[in-house]
Amino acid sequence: MNPMVFGGVQCSRSTSSDLQPASCANCSGQAIWEKAEALKRLGGDEDLLRELCQIFLEESPRHLQKLREAIADADAQATMRAAHNLKGELGYLGAAGATQAAQELEDMGRQQTLSRAAEVFIFLERELASLHIALRNSDGASV
Amino acid sequence: MNIFQPGDGMELPLGNKSGLPNSVLIAEDDPIFRRILESWLQKWNFQVTAVENGLDAWKALQQENAPRLAILDWMMPGLDGIELCRKIRNQAQGAYKYLLLLTARGSKEDVVAGLEAGADDYLTKPFDANELRARVRAGKRILELQGELVKAHNELQFEAAHDHLTGLWNRGAIMDLLHRENQRSTRIGEPLGVIMADLDHFKQINDSYGHQTGDAVLREVAQRLLESVRNYDYVGRYGGEEFLTVLTACTASNLAITAERMRVYVSEKPVETGTGPIPVTISIGLAAHAGGPDLAREEELVRSADTALYTAKANGGNRVEHSPENLSTDPVPSGALR
Repeated sequence: MNPMVFGGVQCSRSTSSDLQPASCANCSGQAIWEKAEALKRLGGDEDLLRELCQIFLEESPRHLQKLREAIADADAQATMRAAHNLKGELGYLGAAGATQAAQELEDMGRQQTLSRAAEVFIFLERELASLHIALRNSDGASV
Repeated sequence: MNIFQPGDGMELPLGNKSGLPNSVLIAEDDPIFRRILESWLQKWNFQVTAVENGLDAWKALQQENAPRLAILDWMMPGLDGIELCRKIRNQAQGAYKYLLLLTARGSKEDVVAGLEAGADDYLTKPFDANELRARVRAGKRILELQGELVKAHNELQFEAAHDHLTGLWNRGAIMDLLHRENQRSTRIGEPLGVIMADLDHFKQINDSYGHQTGDAVLREVAQRLLESVRNYDYVGRYGGEEFLTVLTACTASNLAITAERMRVYVSEKPVETGTGPIPVTISIGLAAHAGGPDLAREEELVRSADTALYTAKANGGNRVEHSPENLSTDPVPSGALR
């Protein structure tokens, strides 16, 4: 495991103000997810955040699968919808890199230009994998 | 028994009865956002109904006591938020629904489209708790204002149909009710009865004790008349000291029994007033219509009851007389019923 990835989320037992964003290899200086930011948005409700992470871990593979199929079928409309759904959830968790990738895919779907979609999808898939590991290892979810 | 008789189609169907004040509907297909909304709103003491798609939201809003505040996601499978807004607004009847549209899109065009479809307000994802709370509060405020308006409207309608002094139906309203019931009893062949009651020697009471005492007597007699009839009969103040009662599905013999009960109940005990107990009596005239196929004119019914009342007065008052005219095929007991 790359300790860089978990730099931020490992210290989740400490107070949220101590939290530093974790950085990853793909996006320099950007966190996989901003736990502090997500927690702040939830009014500091740790239990709710834990529950939402759990839901995300269960739900996101389904969204990702839908997105994969939509891109494979060159279905712009379905790509837009699946990417849109993912974007919303990722945005809420403060997963900046993944959110940006989902946003790009949504835009591509809307503009019906899927030529670069597969490439962005691979990046998104990798970000999501890192996010899954980060979420599982943080206090935010217990699996 | 309450002297006021609201209901009977004289009120608006909206009012505070429909829609629990603190209930809210959430329609959101994304489980994370659904859970966030549910969790926050519950924390703010809302009773939350959460559904996953537009069609279920539509069904939930058709229920009796459905929430009047709805948070609808724009993008949902089946019926999306925009279509749902339109569908709700096209539904003319029922209490006003406050619709808060949830969107991940932030463009001006989208916002305009949402508001034009009938949304009251919108919220852009990702929203935080404070923003949601502020928007929900604004919605509640609108619904409360609307509730007050409906209440004021109902009160005005009540005032317009009721006699201020006694709380009984006023002359216009009791005549409307007689018209309606007359049509109905003719259609379904049910007998209808009319009782005209008049306070005996009311002028003397006013002259001896003053108008304030006279008013107190009228109020008490009105209350006693109401208590002598079934709660689905209509009692109205026809004129100064004259009261008109409309009794549905009431045969001529039952009508006579009811009238006699009224007479006895009013005169049994003196009316307690600020100036001491005052004995009161009433004279009563009856008219009945057996119902079915020939429509009796309500003016005719009232005139017949009035004529009988005049006879009761001429015979000394404190008695019941039935109409001499045969408005009914049901035999009325003849002579005074005293």
